[in-house]
Amino acid sequence: MAYLFETKQMTVGYNGVPLIRDVEIRLEKGHILTLIGPNGAGKSTILKSIAKYLKTVYGTAYISGESVAEMNNRHLARQMAVVLTQKMKTELMTCREIVETGRYPYTGRLGILSPEDHRQVREAMEQVRVWELRHRDFMHISDGQRQRVMLARAICQQPQIIVLDEPSSFLDIRYKLELLDALRDMAREKGISVIMSLHELDLAQRVSDEVMCVKGEYITHYGTPDTIFKKKLIHQLYGLTEGGYNPYFGSLEMRRPTGEPKVFVIAGGGTGLEVYRSLQRSQTPFITGILHENDIDCQVARDLASTVIAERAFCRISDASYQQAEEALRRCPEVINCLTEYGEINGRNRDLLEAASVMGCQVRPFLGEKK
Amino acid sequence: METEIKKQCARRVAVLVILAAALLALVAANINLGSVRISLGEMMRILTGRATDATAADIVWKIRMPRLVAAVLLGGALSLSGFLLQTFFNNPIAGPYVLGVSSGAKLTVALLMVAVMSRGRALGAGWMIVAAFVGAMLSIGFVLLISTRVNRASMLIVSGVMVGYICSAITDFVVTFADDASIVNLHNWSRGSFSGISWNDIRVMTWVVLVTSVLVFLLSKPIGAYQMGESYAQNIGVNIGMFRVALVLLSSILSACVTAFAGPVSFVGIAVPHIVKTLLKTAKPLWVIPVCFLGGAIFCLGCDLIARTAFSPLELSISSVTAVFGAPVVIGIMMKKRRGR
Amino acid sequence: MKRTRFWALLLALAFLTALTGCGQTAPVAKTGLGNGTEPVSHMELRFAQQFSVDKYADGCRLITVRDDGRYLVVPEGVTVPEGISSDIVVLRQPLQNVYLVAAAAMSLIDSLGALDGIGLSGTQADKWYNENARRAMEEGRIRFAGKYSEPDYEMILSAGCPLAIESTMIYHKPEVREKLKSLGIPMFVEHSGRETSPLGRTEWIKVYGVLFDKEEEAQRLFDQQEAKMEEAEKDEPTGKTVAFFYISSSGSAVVRKSGDYVAKMVQLAGGTYIFSDPGEEDSSTSTMTMNMETFYQTAKDADYIIYNSTVAGELHSVAELVARNPLLAECKAVKEGNVWCSDQNIYQETMQLGSMVLELHALLTTEDPGGTQLRYFYHLN
Repeated sequence: MAYLFETKQMTVGYNGVPLIRDVEIRLEKGHILTLIGPNGAGKSTILKSIAKYLKTVYGTAYISGESVAEMNNRHLARQMAVVLTQKMKTELMTCREIVETGRYPYTGRLGILSPEDHRQVREAMEQVRVWELRHRDFMHISDGQRQRVMLARAICQQPQIIVLDEPSSFLDIRYKLELLDALRDMAREKGISVIMSLHELDLAQRVSDEVMCVKGEYITHYGTPDTIFKKKLIHQLYGLTEGGYNPYFGSLEMRRPTGEPKVFVIAGGGTGLEVYRSLQRSQTPFITGILHENDIDCQVARDLASTVIAERAFCRISDASYQQAEEALRRCPEVINCLTEYGEINGRNRDLLEAASVMGCQVRPFLGEKK
Repeated sequence: METEIKKQCARRVAVLVILAAALLALVAANINLGSVRISLGEMMRILTGRATDATAADIVWKIRMPRLVAAVLLGGALSLSGFLLQTFFNNPIAGPYVLGVSSGAKLTVALLMVAVMSRGRALGAGWMIVAAFVGAMLSIGFVLLISTRVNRASMLIVSGVMVGYICSAITDFVVTFADDASIVNLHNWSRGSFSGISWNDIRVMTWVVLVTSVLVFLLSKPIGAYQMGESYAQNIGVNIGMFRVALVLLSSILSACVTAFAGPVSFVGIAVPHIVKTLLKTAKPLWVIPVCFLGGAIFCLGCDLIARTAFSPLELSISSVTAVFGAPVVIGIMMKKRRGR
Repeated sequence: MKRTRFWALLLALAFLTALTGCGQTAPVAKTGLGNGTEPVSHMELRFAQQFSVDKYADGCRLITVRDDGRYLVVPEGVTVPEGISSDIVVLRQPLQNVYLVAAAAMSLIDSLGALDGIGLSGTQADKWYNENARRAMEEGRIRFAGKYSEPDYEMILSAGCPLAIESTMIYHKPEVREKLKSLGIPMFVEHSGRETSPLGRTEWIKVYGVLFDKEEEAQRLFDQQEAKMEEAEKDEPTGKTVAFFYISSSGSAVVRKSGDYVAKMVQLAGGTYIFSDPGEEDSSTSTMTMNMETFYQTAKDADYIIYNSTVAGELHSVAELVARNPLLAECKAVKEGNVWCSDQNIYQETMQLGSMVLELHALLTTEDPGGTQLRYFYHLN
């Protein structure tokens, strides 16, 4: 399989001191590779080395089989484009002029654009939907629009690969989505490969074809999102001690309350989420049940509750589970019931509720529910 | 072409035409104004080579003409130099002397004055010019040397300022051994003046300034790329190392040339690029470079006219006139920019 | 590729400018007119060493300034000799509308009564000490034509100026020299400052006498000054030591070196200049800024202090002197009441050097300092 972009035994670092060794990337045409990892791990170092801003300590990258180290600047400009994080400060340049600079590898001595160049510029700007902004001063538009303009500029270079360094860090969620959507479209429609680093794990999970984990001296994990975005791996990669990571959604929960549980939450099917989070905010430890495995509530509860009483997926609540729940109930002075509907598999939760009132637990309805 | 682009083009062409007209008007004013009144009729005869009054012809051709040609060329050189350095350092108050050019020139001129001239030995004016030029380029050499050790553009400014201080310190040291005459002369030299320019000087000046200016124009493309920052410039194929050296060298040759022939003339290099960019409403080098040259020529020519006629026969220092006109302009532009945000 | 191009360009430029600069060389001392004519006599000079004058049969005078130029003064009505050397500058009498920049020459020219020959001045009206000069400027007979460093070429050229009399300051401004040359205006640099003896300076009046056709007057005035000088020298040296200096605005002491003519005047008047430093005859600067230690060490024992008011301003009392530097209160001269101050314009009074020496002599020998009234020096109480 001929890869568009590869690195062979690439070792990167500053001043000849290796930071990360033996980076081996194999990227196909039109695929998106995302680098994830903790701050300072070396993601930017790798990207800078690929984009030739930094000299590699050893080894090099190859684009369509050609060595990047041996390419002259002009040739490299036609192969690789970049979009960087830093805030740019330009003077009196319109968005169009910014995008036009992307055509420099193709224009003549004085940089005057041909009709073909103008067409490319227009196409790129329309593709990322910034054509309407073309006459506006670059400094007078929003951050999100700016990043898309920079993307258009990169597209104009007609590269084979685009390198982005945390391109969405400063953007709000709308612009994050727009940018990554644009990237995805561009990769798919024009066959341009993308290498970027992201801090937003949820987005990385969704937009990438391949993911590389950067931490420590060697790359430990490199593969498709489904192999990378696992709870244990992510926890280890980022050294998470507080809170938890949910690999299904790429979402995060905050710190689990510690201590003796004071509240028993009866929930299931998503009804308990609000309660759990509210209890987390007040750092009140709680037990919850009887949930079913892979219930939404169960996933979140695993990160927040002191104990989770869960039944096998799709099964009726067994006696064993019920016993467990009753015992737990005895320890908690307070009970919150979130359920309003009871079905075949969780009907016994109604019994649990009755048992709670019999035991003398203070039963509270679902917080925020208005009667 | 779209209407927006048509409007832009029209604006820029209009600015160009107006400035060219202004230049012509100033040239005419400079030819006609001076301590001695020459009638228009005689002036026309002088200009077409059929002069009847030899003295008046001498005045026009040997005194006024070289001076105004020098002001045009050197004014253009200064503003180009300022533009280059402002772009390079992305700093609106960078000017032609930010890299220590004038301090280096002043040092060698001081050395020449103290070591040679005060002993009563006669030296041609050419030596002062060569000395100033050599001094300027030497200080640039040092600055470049220091900055090759550290790979950041900001280091250049720091090196420039430091080299400037060192040169000033050495100059003060040299002055300690100087007699009063040399001190006065050095002071006069540092004020800058277009007074003693000869046609010989013009010949050299024209070559240096025009050749360098054309080279600067040919660098429009990488300069335009550089306006987006070094990282992006490198990505689209600009050889940053060579570009830096080229830019520093070209701007230094221009400002060294001015300092050598007319002493340090301040403010033209700082103010004119701002004025030009505001007028043209763009920073595109293809436009800004020629218009900057034009603008600098106009500014310098106008200021020189005032300097030599306002309190005739006493001459004001050209730097004080340029500062008086230049500083408020720069302040005005800066304030307008802030408000516009 | 670009890089080598630039270096090559740079070198070429440096070379080019060096070429343009190589125009001037110091004139080699030549003798004679160059056309075979021999002078009939030479002007007798008693003290001056920096110039000489040869007289020719047809009335022409050749002034040779040492290490500088040669000037042939041709009287009115006489034809310019043929075949003279190219380095000789021809000046035709009568000289009118001369541009005078060297202020020191004014007093000499004025005493000759040759002020009418001057039409342009390098000094403004109110800066002249010389009354006649100031009045002439105020009445418009002499116009201000710009300082030596920035002359108003237009004015000079249109006035038909035949000669510019410059001081040695012009050497620091070669472009002005070259400009004047290209406009066809001859330049005479007066080197009286290089004379080591005071009367040598005064003897330069003979040069101006030649230029303005007042030779006899010049000789007469000079003889007068010489007589005064001899009167002062008649007495034995008094053995008194004199310090001549001023305190600059930065607080340091600026003294004239021992080779300077003021020091010489003191010697001639019978005193001893206290800052005596043999072997300093040739130095290019006439003043020296001394650090307080050395100065105090030497000056505290001086019998007389004469404060140089020409640069830092006049003093009116000893208290003012001490205010400039409290250390001076410890000086012998201050304690004994022998502190004097020079008149602010003594440097412009080049004609009166002989009188000045006489006055210095009086200063050094008087029993009653407070009651002695002098023109060029006054006693501080």
